[in-house]
Formats: sequence, C-alpha cells, structure tokens
Amino acid sequence: MLKKIGEPSFKFIKYITLLWFIIYIISPLPWLFTNAFAVRGASYVKIPEEITLDNFYRIFRAMSPRSEVGLMHGERVHKWIMNSLILALVAMGVVLLLGSPAGYALSRLRFRGKDLLMTAILLIGFMPMTAKMLPLYKICLDMGIVNNLVGTGIVIGSGALPFQIWLLKAFFDYIPDELEEQAELFGCNRLETLFRVVLPSSGVGLMASAFLTFLSGWGNFTTSLILLRSERVYTLPLGIVSVATEIYGGGESSINIDLAYLSALGIVFIIPPLLVYLLFRRALIGIKLGRIAMRY
Amino acid sequence: MIRKLWFKIQLYRREIFLGLFLIPALIPMVVFQLYPALKAVWFSMTNIAIMGPHAVDWSFIGLKNFGYLPRDPYFPHSAKLTGYYCAASLVLRFILGFIAALFVTSSRSKWRIGLTLLFLIPYIIPGSIKPVLYLSLMDVHSGLYNRVLRALHLPPQSWTYERLTESLISLNVWAGYAFAMIILISALLSIPKEYYEIADIYGASRWTKFFRITLPLIKFPIILCLIMIFKEDIDDFTYAYVLGGGGGGDQPINFKTDILAVYAYYKAFQYGELGIGCAIGLIVGIIVFILTLAQLRMGGV
Repeated sequence: MLKKIGEPSFKFIKYITLLWFIIYIISPLPWLFTNAFAVRGASYVKIPEEITLDNFYRIFRAMSPRSEVGLMHGERVHKWIMNSLILALVAMGVVLLLGSPAGYALSRLRFRGKDLLMTAILLIGFMPMTAKMLPLYKICLDMGIVNNLVGTGIVIGSGALPFQIWLLKAFFDYIPDELEEQAELFGCNRLETLFRVVLPSSGVGLMASAFLTFLSGWGNFTTSLILLRSERVYTLPLGIVSVATEIYGGGESSINIDLAYLSALGIVFIIPPLLVYLLFRRALIGIKLGRIAMRY
Repeated sequence: MIRKLWFKIQLYRREIFLGLFLIPALIPMVVFQLYPALKAVWFSMTNIAIMGPHAVDWSFIGLKNFGYLPRDPYFPHSAKLTGYYCAASLVLRFILGFIAALFVTSSRSKWRIGLTLLFLIPYIIPGSIKPVLYLSLMDVHSGLYNRVLRALHLPPQSWTYERLTESLISLNVWAGYAFAMIILISALLSIPKEYYEIADIYGASRWTKFFRITLPLIKFPIILCLIMIFKEDIDDFTYAYVLGGGGGGDQPINFKTDILAVYAYYKAFQYGELGIGCAIGLIVGIIVFILTLAQLRMGGV
C-alpha cells in the first residue's frame, strides 16, 4: 500500500477511539455483577467488600428481597422464571409446528403470486406494535386468553412466525429435491417425507429458528405486558420491571429497594440469551446478517 | 365435470397437499397480527372504552377522535417529544452504528468475529433489563454520567428527573446502534476489494476513498437503515415505559418519557379510553406502514 507523505497516521487515533467505544459499550454492565454478588446493593458501581451468593440463594429458595418498603415478591419469583419458560416454549412450539411446514411449502411450491404471498407475510411481520397492541388486548379479552400463559405464548409465537417462515424457507431451499424423490421411492408419504427426511436434515436451521423464537418469548415485554395483567402470571421481564419501576416511580426512594436482589434476578434473566448467543455465535451472526439481507 | 375436477385434483395432489401446510401458519398470523391492526382502524372511529359504560355500549363516532387529539392536554407535547426522541436517536444510532461497522470491517479477520460479538452485546440482552442497567449510569451522586461531567468540570445533571428524556435517548442509542451496525457491515462487506486497490494505485487518500467509493456504493443500504431505525424508534415502547415509572395504577405519569406509544397505552389502560388510544396508535401505525412500503419497494422484494 502506498503511503502519502503528509497523511497523518490513523493507527493511534483509531485505537483510542476503539478503546472508548468498547468502554462505552460495556459501561452499563459491571453494575449488574458488582451488585449481584454484594450483600447490599448500591445504585452505582461499587466493588463489594464481601462476595456472596446469597442473592441467588434467595431467588432459588423463593425468599423475598430485603426491602423496607412493602415489596413481598419473594414467593412469586420462582413462578416468574417458570412462567417465562412456559411462554418461551409455547412460542417455540408454535413456530416449529406451524412455521416449518409453511416454510417447507413455500420453498417447494411454484405458483403465481408466490412473491406476493411472501411479501404479504413479511408485511404482517412488520405490523407496528403501537397500532395493534390495544385492539389485541380487546380481541384476546373477548377470546378469554388474557392472563393465560399458553394463549400469550401463541400470540408471541404468531408475532415471530413471519420472519421465521422466511428464515426456514431459506434453509429448506438449500435441501436438494433429490432427497425427497429418494424418500418417495422408498415409499414415504408426504408427511413422512417432511418429518423423517426433510426436517432432520435441516437440523441447524430448525435449531437456529427455535432458539431465536425461544429468546423472543423469553425477553418479550410489550405483548406480555398487554396480555398478562395479573401478578400471578407475571413473567421474568414483567416481574423485573415491576420491581424496578418502584425505583424509578419512587424517585429518591431507591435506597429502600433491594438492588442486589434485583441484579441477581437480572443475571438469571440475561444468562439464557448470552448462552445461546455464545454457543451459536457463528450461525447467529450469519443469520442476523442473512435476515437483514433477506429483508432487502 | 366432477370426473374432470377429480382428475385435476389427482394431477395437482402434491401442490394441494403442500398448500395445506400453509394454512395452519397463516391462521394465527392473521388472527393475532393482521386482524388487530385492521381492528385499530375500526376502534379509532368509536368511543370504545376499557371500563365504564362505554366498555359494552360503544358506538361509531366517525373521525371525532382525531379531531379531539390536537385539543388533548398532552397529545401535542407527546408528539413533539416523540419527534425529538426519534430525530436524536436516528442521528446518534446511525453514526455510532456506522463507526462500529467501519471498525468491524476494517479489522483483521482474526479480530472481526470477537469485535462483532462484543459490539452486539447490547443488542442481545433482553430489552426490559436495559433500563435497570442504566440506573447505575444515571445515579445523581456517583453515577458514571455525573462522574464524567464532574471530571470535565461541567455541572452534574439530574439524569433521573430533569434530563430523563436525554437519558432515554442515550439508553436507546446504546441499546440499538448495533442494529444499524449489522446492516452496514453486510453492506460494507459487499463492496469489491478491487475498487480500493485501484484507488490505491492512483494514490487516492483515505478520505477520497471513503467519500468517492464507500459512501456512493452503500447509499441504498444507508437509506434503508435510516428508514428501519426510524420505524423502530417511533414504534418503541419498552424503554420509555420502564424509565417513565411503569405507571402502576396510582403513579403519576412522568411526561418526560411519554412518547406516543406509551401515551396510547396510558390513554387506554389508565384513562380507559381505548378509542383514543387506538387513534394515537393508528397515527403511528400509518407512518410505520408507509415507511415499510417504501422499504419493501427499495429492497425490491
């Protein structure tokens, strides 16, 4: 590479900027860890004098936070984690059971108006949340699935379906037709071909799709907020927010909330996404890029 | 006739069978995604309420809800706030995302995956925990923001109260710049290396290469990226809702974070006026829908 005389060296500036950028990105994170292992939480980063697992112990033994305000969430924290799991698994099931046949059909069928159908599916996926959330509440109220975890899971799954159908279609496109012709020669019918030949050989795609949907159910906030109105069925995000908003809503009363407990709960909450992400990093970065590319 | 039909069915058996696979997936999508959006149009023209007499006995009132909105005590404020929030977030998210994308694409391939992983962390963490994380930065006495301000000999700000809108923007930028980064990385990687090599042969400077090769070639991804960021911000709910105090029944609404989505939610669930809430939601919805059409059009899907 030619270097022109008088052109300043960008190396130094570049690394300084990069360092600042990295600090900027991780700056909110240390608080979660210094707090979760501390005896008493603080609303700023403070290195704990004593490292303890007491907060996690309290969460898993379903004990209440050490709070001086009337916050008795303790016995429900267990349920929050379970509820989140149920919600995420139902959403995952919806996408796998309904989305994968649809993706397969869209990959194999040739008909006029297929592009139109694909665009329509994408458009359904782009429906703005703000516009649909209030009527969704009314509709679900009439259907009787407000405060129903399975129903909410289905709604969240239906929200994830459009993109997952696109994703799965792209995966099925990679599986050669010859495989199915072979299966038919050996006497499989259509359903058997799908469930015993095509789906097993598209394992990576299915797994990626399943995990992405699981995460969208696990972290979902808006739909759960609209549809889960009673504290009995709160999921982890709703629970964390209901604890946290007493900090924000109460203004200066934040000293009274057990921030250590809240941080420990937060760590329990972010572990599954980070774990999935670290385990499948290459595939997921590819999919994330691919998904965007597909949206072009 | 029937024989002919039967023959046709036999002929297209495979296609029909595969077509049946589509229907189970389309049903929940239509019922829970498309139908509510259409229902919003209808509800916004009624005086439906969540509680009270109008919950059961509601009627069509035409466009009265939209006529009422400018006279609503807080709607103009909320609309202005949303504009400020969206504009600031758009600029900052795009610039930070672009810088991050340039870092990732210009680093050696050994570093690239690690750097991408690191830069994507704010995007991976579930949304509802992020406002809680930001508490540590916003703390008045020893939060990071005020520490930095004090170190620069600037007056510390009350990030949790006076400057809550700015806190919200900074949270949204931190949480969402990676979205712009993802799009721009794939755009930057699609530029052929040969262009830069030829530019090097002719002795082009760094800036010339950037402004004459890079920018023109990723013009369309940039526009697309801006559209998508704007859509995401105007449709945003979680951060503003949580930072604003969550509105548990008796809590006052903090008008510093009441962007339109949050205001529509409060209109419906706190004042019970579902019709007006739907009208606000529909305004946002129409903006997003037009932008989506533009985006699909540009993408050539």
